Amino acid sequence: MTTLLRRSLAVLAAGLVLAVAPAAAQSAPDSESAQQHSNAQQSSHGGEGDHAEEENTGNPGAVSHSADGNYLNFEPFGIVELPRLFLTNTAGGGIGFEAFGSSKAALKSGEYTLAHPDSAGASLTDTQVQDALASSHHDYLYFTMQKAGAGSILVDFSITRHLVAVFATALLLVILALGVARRYKRGLGREEAPRGTWQNMVEVMIVFMRDEVAKPALGRHYKSYLPYLLTVFFFILIGNLLGLLPWGITATSNIMVTGTLALFTFLITQFSGTAEYWKHTLNPPGVPWFVKPFLVPAEIIGLFTKPLALAFRLFGNMMSGHIVLISMIGLIFIFTAQFGVGIGTGSIIVSVPLTIFMYGIKLAVSFIQAYIFVILSALFIGLAIEEHEDQHDEVDETEAVEAGSRPHDDIDGFMDRSEHFGPQGKRMVSGDGETAPAGQTAISQPAG
Amino acid sequence: MLFASFALQETPAPSLLEPNVGLVFWTAVVFLAVLGILWKYAWGPITDALEEREERIDASMTKAERALEEAKQIQAENEKNRREAEQEARQILREAREEAEQLREEEKQQTRQELQEMKEQARADIEREKENALSELRSEVADLAIEAAGKIIGENLDEPRQRRLVDDFIDDLPRN
Repeated sequence: MTTLLRRSLAVLAAGLVLAVAPAAAQSAPDSESAQQHSNAQQSSHGGEGDHAEEENTGNPGAVSHSADGNYLNFEPFGIVELPRLFLTNTAGGGIGFEAFGSSKAALKSGEYTLAHPDSAGASLTDTQVQDALASSHHDYLYFTMQKAGAGSILVDFSITRHLVAVFATALLLVILALGVARRYKRGLGREEAPRGTWQNMVEVMIVFMRDEVAKPALGRHYKSYLPYLLTVFFFILIGNLLGLLPWGITATSNIMVTGTLALFTFLITQFSGTAEYWKHTLNPPGVPWFVKPFLVPAEIIGLFTKPLALAFRLFGNMMSGHIVLISMIGLIFIFTAQFGVGIGTGSIIVSVPLTIFMYGIKLAVSFIQAYIFVILSALFIGLAIEEHEDQHDEVDETEAVEAGSRPHDDIDGFMDRSEHFGPQGKRMVSGDGETAPAGQTAISQPAG
Repeated sequence: MLFASFALQETPAPSLLEPNVGLVFWTAVVFLAVLGILWKYAWGPITDALEEREERIDASMTKAERALEEAKQIQAENEKNRREAEQEARQILREAREEAEQLREEEKQQTRQELQEMKEQARADIEREKENALSELRSEVADLAIEAAGKIIGENLDEPRQRRLVDDFIDDLPRN
């Protein structure tokens, strides 16, 4: 455990050094140039500083670090563009598929142009496109693309940076899981104790997922859902952790990715829902008829809000963490730009420990959010497949009458067990546990 | 750069909530592929192995428990046997001691009896010897007396008469 902790701390420290070093290297010329020249020079340095007076920043600030894009950002070493794949409506009315090695190639082919960000449908002028292409910040990467001539893009299947993170996550997960599975097949962990950090760590999580998440939530059906839960858990976990690496991208900080995962939970929930689940949703039994018009829509909305909440929770947590991290580091440069190098350097003392602290929290959040996503998924599925023993159907009306006395029995039992409330063996007439003592005295006195 | 800047369109602010069907599609494809691969080749074997191991551990634990119980039982039995054996040994010892005591007592009794008998025998022997001696003495005395009387009287009575005479005399003598 301590070695693991030490290792993760080392990773953390290395990540910070790598994250801070290039930025710090940039900050020195940045501040100098800010003092000597004003606009033009400053614009040649990306993102972090204040860009109110810049023409173009290329990479405008913290949000774009977390936003998706058709490039991999390896600053200060450069930007790697990703392939663009378009499913298009061709001019003739058919469907076409076009692929380019990069956004630049797509633009240079002349078939695509950049959409004007302010007016829908309009595109930038040719000179603007050429300027964007010529800019040192790959300005064109931040515009939406559209067909230059006739036709339109139906679906943009382009590989984005978050998709690359999804691929990396998937690859890592497959390698990791298959590696561990091979050890079990070899007999390690099957006939003898598991060995090694990886196997033990993975096994702990698998067993935890099975015993603490799947079994309690899903009961005896847990086996059919466990692989899904495990896959989602490790997928999210690895996705979260990948974002903590230097230059790492967090796939789970994209609402589309988290939404897709939540969609799977949603689909599984609805498709494994029992008839009773649907009945409870669409025609809740035991509810007065005049409540139903309000309750049923709420139930139906609830079907969708649950997975939506899943998606937004994960997305928001991962996204906000990243923005907070980069903002804290960014404080150094904001202070440098505002108050000079001295104060900017001094703010490192505050910023870096805060960042490390946040990093630690993000590390924890990576695990916690993966766990929350999975346990909620399991609970939603569990609610849908639950078999109720106490049905509220007309068949059980007699039982329902009996059931009416059950809470009082419980209270009586509680009273009997408790020494604080009145004489033993006397039934409570009514009331809940809190008002019972008063009722007890009032009733037992005439009775006794 | 400066010259061109008036024509530049400022880059749009990135949107964090931008819908992207392509990304959803790819993510779904990747996720399903991963799910399929891992279901078949990773989670299945791993959970099976875990279950197998747990069952084995469970089984071996019950076995161990049973063995422990058996061992305890055997130990208790052994203990009981030992105690019984000890008791038996003690019993045997006691019995042996009693028997020996009894034997010795009997022996003593017998010896005493034998001694008694020997004493009796001796006494009888002595009595008989004395009787013999007495009767011998008696006949000797009778002979002597007859001889002496014959000598004195000079003439011999006939032998049977004399003997009867003497015998009567001796019989008249006090016994001891």
